[in-house]
Amino acid sequence: MMPEFEDCTEVLRSLYAFHDDELTAAEADDIRQHLMACEPCLDHFQVEDAMRLLIRRCCAEEKAPEGLRMRMQATYSHTVISIEETD
Amino acid sequence: MQGRQVHPLGSFVMNLPTLPDQAGLATPETDAERASRFESEALVYLDQLYGAGLRMTRNPTDAEDLVQETFAKAYASFHQFTPGTNLKAWLYRILTNTFINSYRKKQRQPQSSGQEVEDWQLARAEGHTSTGLRSAETEALDRMPHSAVTEAMNALAPDFRLAVYLADVEGFSYKEIAEIMGTPIGTVMSRLNRGRNQLRLSLADFAREHGLVGGEHDA
Repeated sequence: MMPEFEDCTEVLRSLYAFHDDELTAAEADDIRQHLMACEPCLDHFQVEDAMRLLIRRCCAEEKAPEGLRMRMQATYSHTVISIEETD
Repeated sequence: MQGRQVHPLGSFVMNLPTLPDQAGLATPETDAERASRFESEALVYLDQLYGAGLRMTRNPTDAEDLVQETFAKAYASFHQFTPGTNLKAWLYRILTNTFINSYRKKQRQPQSSGQEVEDWQLARAEGHTSTGLRSAETEALDRMPHSAVTEAMNALAPDFRLAVYLADVEGFSYKEIAEIMGTPIGTVMSRLNRGRNQLRLSLADFAREHGLVGGEHDA
């Protein structure tokens, strides 16, 4: 039973927005209901899920170089010491 | 002290380094106080801004310069930032503007222009594209090297790359991305749809070409 959609194209069109949590609660419920009943769409959803994990894992691990970190900290963190030295 | 009613937040508040004077009226922040606040609230985004800068410039040296310039500009206008609003998005907005103004011109990237409406209509029609992968094959994505992902990202047009980065890596909402990139939400969705489709297709291709998932060459 997939009451709200003409066909899967409509569901797939909303899949990114569904994943992004950008649909209204009612829209998201309709998609969820369809995914529970439609194996191919659920499969698309799970592949998209895995893609997001992969992209996030690979890009979120970038760390700023130590030199940059030290320069930034030196530029913006002289305050505590200067207060102690006042007098 | 004994017997006196202690405010539940008392000890916490007393430990705050930059508590305003008791006068009640906000006293102007000293340079030292502002620097201290900047350090504790803004500098924590260093790694994230660098990661985004690296995806924008595709070059570690330019990314460092970009982040440094971003912090300098953010610091200079930090007094205009409204506490309690979205500092992270504010910093990304400065990063994006700085990139567009200084680095993108230098790199002579093609500018997108004047086709926002068509893009948005196209985006509605496109939606999610099938990568041809099945969910049973997605475990193979764990063996995907980082370089494959960053190279596929770098191959995207700059506008698409940034939108995809902000959504997929940073988890910003469409509204926040629209504010950061200074575009309507429809344009954000269009860039996301097209950038994501392209990225996912090239990642799936990579996985197939390198035998990570069963393709036509699979035995």
